[in-house]
Amino acid sequence: MEIRELTAADLPALMQLENALFGSEAWKETPFRSELEGKFTYYFGAFDGGLIGYAGLHSVPASFTSDIQTLAIATAHQGHGLGRTLAKKLIAKAFALGAETVFLEVRVDNQTAINLYASLGFEQIDIRKNYYQPSGTDAMVMKLVLDQPIVLGVESSCDETGIGIVKGNRLLANALHSSMDEHAKFGGVVPEVAARAHLEALQPTIAQALKEANLTMSQIDAIAVANGPGLAGALMVGIGAAKALAIAHNLPIYAVNHLVGHVGADVLENGTVSLPTIALLVSGGHTSLLLVRDLLDDVELLGETIDDAAGEAFDKVARVLGLPYPGGPQIDRLAETGNPKAIRFPRGLSLPKDMEAHRFDFSFSGLKTAVARHVEKASDGGLEISKPDVAASFREAVVDVLLTKAINACELHGVKRLLLGGGVVANARLRQVAKIRCGEADIQLRIPRFSLCTDNGAMIASIGAQSIMAGRPASGIGFGAESTLEVTKVQTL
Amino acid sequence: MILAIDTSAGTSAAVFDGANRLSFINFDDRFGHAENIGLAIQAVLKEARIVPADLTLVAIGRGPAPYTGLRVGIAAGIAMATALNIQACGVITLNAVARKHPVGKILVVADAKRKELFIAGFQDGEQVISPSVSNLQDLENHLGFQQVSGECDASLIGEYAVFAVDQKLDLTDTSALYLRSPDVTPSAGKRVTG
Repeated sequence: MEIRELTAADLPALMQLENALFGSEAWKETPFRSELEGKFTYYFGAFDGGLIGYAGLHSVPASFTSDIQTLAIATAHQGHGLGRTLAKKLIAKAFALGAETVFLEVRVDNQTAINLYASLGFEQIDIRKNYYQPSGTDAMVMKLVLDQPIVLGVESSCDETGIGIVKGNRLLANALHSSMDEHAKFGGVVPEVAARAHLEALQPTIAQALKEANLTMSQIDAIAVANGPGLAGALMVGIGAAKALAIAHNLPIYAVNHLVGHVGADVLENGTVSLPTIALLVSGGHTSLLLVRDLLDDVELLGETIDDAAGEAFDKVARVLGLPYPGGPQIDRLAETGNPKAIRFPRGLSLPKDMEAHRFDFSFSGLKTAVARHVEKASDGGLEISKPDVAASFREAVVDVLLTKAINACELHGVKRLLLGGGVVANARLRQVAKIRCGEADIQLRIPRFSLCTDNGAMIASIGAQSIMAGRPASGIGFGAESTLEVTKVQTL
Repeated sequence: MILAIDTSAGTSAAVFDGANRLSFINFDDRFGHAENIGLAIQAVLKEARIVPADLTLVAIGRGPAPYTGLRVGIAAGIAMATALNIQACGVITLNAVARKHPVGKILVVADAKRKELFIAGFQDGEQVISPSVSNLQDLENHLGFQQVSGECDASLIGEYAVFAVDQKLDLTDTSALYLRSPDVTPSAGKRVTG
């Protein structure tokens, strides 16, 4: 016997079984088709030769509830536990989708089904009179409460110490301590300074997260920690802490990929990450273009920066213009009054010759040098430059190349979705141009709130929770920091 | 019940019941602190036949020592104490080593990398030279001292914590004892054109 998800192609077999079982009360073909094709419905069929049973679930993202729509077993196959198998399949699916409650209606005279659901933990909460027509039979409404896992996530890959707590798909806390100010005088993140700051921020940030969530450590079900990619010395602080937290309360620990965390952040905003999606992650440490078909199983790196990260380029150009660190907000402000077309700065890796080897890769170091040359040349010649024009033209070049490549990736892979993540998402022009270009190309754009875009512990907790909800095993306790962890490795076992 | 953790050299952990050491483990790997810290803590709890809830104090080696590894143990110690809502205490590794040499003039010397040394001096158990960074030449200033290796582990940290609890010493500072500023200076910014 095989159990698989049903599609509209299975409709004839489904209708045949539905009519045989329910006669005058059977669902009609048209509504059943829309059930199978629905965006938020999940139907499973059991096959042994032909279709011998089916069951369906309805679950709207961010509603935190699921409904069992139907469950039917061919007469000849009843009484062998197939109903239980399919019901459990639906419950597992509801759990994985983040449901905290599952509802269903069942005929009050169907004692076999009522017993089955009761044995799975469902309880009667209501009776609906004359629910089934034409017979006028009453329906019993039943409810199952699912305990979604409470996961504490630890993020320490760069200059933010993040401790987040989630319950399934729900965000409970997102405490953050940034050491950004301590890096300001150096013009960029100094790894040793970041690692020192993590150690100092650890205890207060854990305490703050627990307070925000109104929880104690003994109520946490699992620990998740980012073990890469990132600064090794910084990652190691988070890993040391996370392992001790797990051991203290005998909890499973999940070592998860920081970059995939940025994608998983949208679950906390949206109830799900609509897949497949292209993800453009842009920060001071990363500039990566991903194709995500499955959050836990299928993340592909399409391209990344071959030199500076985009955020790093903002910092360096800010410095050239005599602006303080971090450069992003400074340049953004200055650029507001500048002309983005005043100077045509280069778009790295965008020439026809680059398309073969670097179609979706980025390069910002040449751009930074071009800006520096422009400024130095003017100053050597005793000429006044318009800093707003330089800032606006530079910003335009970065935004243009990021979005041109991201949208090309959407087009090439036939994926009409784009998710933005990373600290550079704070850039007003990036968000503005993303909205315009995605609108033109009919691409659905997702930008989580800023506190979930920058590095944070909640996104790490979210990947941990998704792993548990999907029934994945925990990591062992012997993993280390992997500063160049590949994005394909979502969890380190 | 005390859990002692030290990652100043290898990765080590120990459990003490009052004055008695119940268990001890050391992973000698000088680069595997993040990998080994959980294994070490689990192993000593198991060998001592206790559960984390039995612990009343976490004793943490504060260094001075190579920082990247050192921080892993401190992070774990702080997190363990936070998670169990118990006290943590910090022990300077050079002091812990000196406890083994209660008589005479002793200079505890540990590798600080970059051709430098962490040192602290003791006379009959009393500290006479504070923990500091030194180089080989400066050691000649301390000719009257017998030099001993500053290599530390969780067993020594635990013994010191037991002693400190008995003597009611204040060990509430669990921060890393760096003794050196991060090796970085703000750059003036370079020109790209000649």
